[in-house]
Amino acid sequence: MKLSKRVVLLCLIAVLAMSMVFAGGDKEKGKIRIVTTSWRTEDVERMNRINALYMEKHPNVIIDFQPTADEEYDANTTAALETGIGADIIYLRSYDEGLPYYEAGHLVDLTNIIPNLEKFPRAAVGAWSKDGVTYGLPSAGVTHGVYYNKAIFKKHGLTPPKTWAEFIKLNDTLLAKGEVPIAQGALDDWTLYEVAFSGLGANFYGGEAARQALLAGKAKLTDPNFIKAFEAVYSLKKYLPRGYEALDYSAMLQMFASGQAAMFIGGSWEISTFEDMGADPANVGWFAPPVEKAGDRLQYCFHVDIGVGVNKNSKHLDEAIEYLKWVAGAEYAQALMNELPGFFSYTPADVKINDPLAAEMFKVIADSEPTVRTVWEKLSAQAPSGNELMGIALPGMMVDKYTPKEAAAFVQSQLETWYPPFKK
Amino acid sequence: MKRKKHRTLSTYVYYLAMLAYLVVIAYPLYLMVVTSLKPNAEIFKNPLGPPQSFYLGNFITLISRANFNLYFLNSLIVVFVSLFCIIIFSSLAAFILAKHGFKGSTFLYSFFVAGLIIPIRLGTISILKMMIGFGLHDTLASVILVSIATGIPFGIFILTDFIRMVPDDLMHAARIDGYSEPKIFLRIIIPLLLPAIASVAVVNFIPIWNDFWFPLILLKSQSVRTVPLATALLFGQFSTNYGHVFAMLTMASVPVVITYLIFSRWFIKGLTEGGLKG
Amino acid sequence: MGSNTSYTRRRVQKILFRLGFLLPALLIYTFILLIPIVDSMRLSFYTGSGLIPNTFIGLGNYIKIFTQDVFRERVWGAFTNNIKFFLIVTLLQNVLGFFLAMAVTRPIKGASFMRKISFIPTTLSVLVVGFLFRQILNPIWGILGNFPWLGNEFTALPTLAVAVSWQFIGESILLYTVGIDGIPIELLEAARIDGANWFQEMRHIILPAIMPIVGIVTLLIYVGDFTQFDIVYAMTTTSGNPRFKTDLFGSLFYRTAFSTPARGGWGMGMGAAVSTIMFAVVAFGVGIWFFVFQRKRDA
Repeated sequence: MKLSKRVVLLCLIAVLAMSMVFAGGDKEKGKIRIVTTSWRTEDVERMNRINALYMEKHPNVIIDFQPTADEEYDANTTAALETGIGADIIYLRSYDEGLPYYEAGHLVDLTNIIPNLEKFPRAAVGAWSKDGVTYGLPSAGVTHGVYYNKAIFKKHGLTPPKTWAEFIKLNDTLLAKGEVPIAQGALDDWTLYEVAFSGLGANFYGGEAARQALLAGKAKLTDPNFIKAFEAVYSLKKYLPRGYEALDYSAMLQMFASGQAAMFIGGSWEISTFEDMGADPANVGWFAPPVEKAGDRLQYCFHVDIGVGVNKNSKHLDEAIEYLKWVAGAEYAQALMNELPGFFSYTPADVKINDPLAAEMFKVIADSEPTVRTVWEKLSAQAPSGNELMGIALPGMMVDKYTPKEAAAFVQSQLETWYPPFKK
Repeated sequence: MKRKKHRTLSTYVYYLAMLAYLVVIAYPLYLMVVTSLKPNAEIFKNPLGPPQSFYLGNFITLISRANFNLYFLNSLIVVFVSLFCIIIFSSLAAFILAKHGFKGSTFLYSFFVAGLIIPIRLGTISILKMMIGFGLHDTLASVILVSIATGIPFGIFILTDFIRMVPDDLMHAARIDGYSEPKIFLRIIIPLLLPAIASVAVVNFIPIWNDFWFPLILLKSQSVRTVPLATALLFGQFSTNYGHVFAMLTMASVPVVITYLIFSRWFIKGLTEGGLKG
Repeated sequence: MGSNTSYTRRRVQKILFRLGFLLPALLIYTFILLIPIVDSMRLSFYTGSGLIPNTFIGLGNYIKIFTQDVFRERVWGAFTNNIKFFLIVTLLQNVLGFFLAMAVTRPIKGASFMRKISFIPTTLSVLVVGFLFRQILNPIWGILGNFPWLGNEFTALPTLAVAVSWQFIGESILLYTVGIDGIPIELLEAARIDGANWFQEMRHIILPAIMPIVGIVTLLIYVGDFTQFDIVYAMTTTSGNPRFKTDLFGSLFYRTAFSTPARGGWGMGMGAAVSTIMFAVVAFGVGIWFFVFQRKRDA
């Protein structure tokens, strides 16, 4: 007995000692800690570098970037805000996914606080505003397209396609030559909805115009143009890797980064991800979602991704707002574009895009019709939300549980149970 | 003759089965440890083979840059404080139930022991409400309280029996010597109880350390994160560095496995009591 | 011969003493384990947004669950999944565990080493096991081929069951070996002398002797499985991918009570209703257990 007691004591001491030794200590006597929360767990290092710029100028403030796991983010943030332990700065997803926080009264009204707010693009501000009140500062937008492995393309003499027909032909060639054309799985539903459908499908259902019609209740997901989008995504099934039903997002990324697949339907945020995974940036290419017919105008999903809000109950309201003003400024914007290429800042300033891939993605905007993810606005305000339904329908379609028409019908019918414009 | 042959064959089969079982147990664990010793790039190229060299980079990153020592400390605090309270509260109550029975004490005993099969998770919504109400939300105290509540049934179950086995004469003698009841408890009962206490402690250590559900629901800030929470975070949907992930898994597992190996004797004793009594 | 007051004082002291010793355990146990469960049932009769529903609607939540497709399908789905899960785990963890326990109680070299080792997976966190298996079964790494074990509707749930069984079979083995150890040697030797083979030994001596332990193991597995959450979280996300085929009561409860509507949350009132339904299922199972195993006892 004595022996075991000793063992326990020893372990305890050893561990405590170890943790003292390794304890990362910024002794923060007298410093103010501003906690910011986000769903981007993979950005910790980069955000710390960005925030270091602010901390240099404000030595009495520590910006503590504390992300939460993506899946838990909303539930966590809601719970934290409602029980008074929320962070000072809250990252907000756009439209329906960020609105509840404002409606529950947790966010500061930013409309008259941020000096250059009026210069931000209206569409972006609108994603975080309601009835004239802006509760979130538009921080970053992302675009959707297709990454490709330049070496594989070169090997088979392929070039980036402009039209869907070219795209399919390309895929067929790759398949015939024994390559895995597209690293896409059906396990993480958002990859199919947010990226594949909203990104590639937009060209089929008619982008922003169609989306507005849908919102107004004048169009349905079962209309021919939307069905075409579902069918387009479905047609890619044969180009997916074996076992795609169990391929999750990390596995998809790995496949592409390690050169095992030729293409990756992805978003602009993945630029740094692939780099972190060891893919050679010079070998990663990108092309915009292929249009349906030659000569069509690109319907480009330029989605309002990150907005930043301030917790009304923050214990350091003034400092938080000070920080936010900096976030709205050019220095932050440039730092963001440098550290996290692919997150396009909305800040109205002269910002340079240094990353070549990001520059390509950005260039295309000028010649396109921008839109956002299909059912992200208004159609996801209640349960069953449009986002959730798409997340059920699309993977189901890819494993043949639903035909494209059935998938569309499923989402439409469920939305009709609550979305007012549909209920007429 | 026939019997001997039969026995040899079945012995072989037996050994084969045992070997198969051993491989099934050991292989995933081996993979976990081995993968944590490889840098990310090597993992992609050679996911299943032995590591080229003992790469410690993943562990170093975790400790220095991912605050792992903080989470470790939090888990330790939760476990030790909880165990301490479970042992004290249970032995206090067990003392009464075993040696100071009164009308209804058998009922009380069953009352406590019933908790062994009542899944505390089903009350989570109300527990959350309660913790918020007391301002304990997002503190280690909330998880500690829950862990104590979960451990009390087993503690009382084991300790009551143990105390019962203490001869009454011993206690009578002490009373004659002028010992008050509390003193009897401290001076006589507790020392005799140590093996049982060890069992209760070891049996509870594992589920408390590994608890994910309550930390997930009751804790939000980084400063109170426990090891399981941190593990889940790191394995988040977008995690791309497998080396880090597996190092995390390994680090999360090592304390418990080592504790088990050291204290397996008491552990088995603890479950023995539970099993035999059932 | 004490006076009345000193007798009363002693009595009061006695009561205080007993109360004092009992109170800490009693308070914590009652207020954190028992009362919340009852209170959750009460909450299930309310609705409202935010953390604390406060509009009384009687059986409204239950009516919604049983009449509206969206809700009913999820609850029924979780229920049937959980039953399948429980059956597979019982087969692997309980039945196989029993045989393995018999095996490691043979007086053969290496048996006690196996006993010790078999428990190690149980000491890991379910999260760790889930993540570990998820990686191993990753189609890219392909230890078990590039078949999508976790993506295929038919294999996903069994895969989870296998992972959980892998982890906890050690616990069953431990409990069973303890029970087998307790069987008097003479009984077994007598049987062997009589020429009984291992099967007969098992059927006539071992099994009857450890019936109570079989009962306990089964009960523990039942209660544990119907509140199992961690493995779903680790292996297939709380949405029970693919398409809710791995959605168990545990993940259903978590999702419906603690998530936002966009991710499948139903509000806390409904969440409480789900947990109450879970309680009913568990209580029902425990009731059957009592019936079966108490009767066996009395027999």
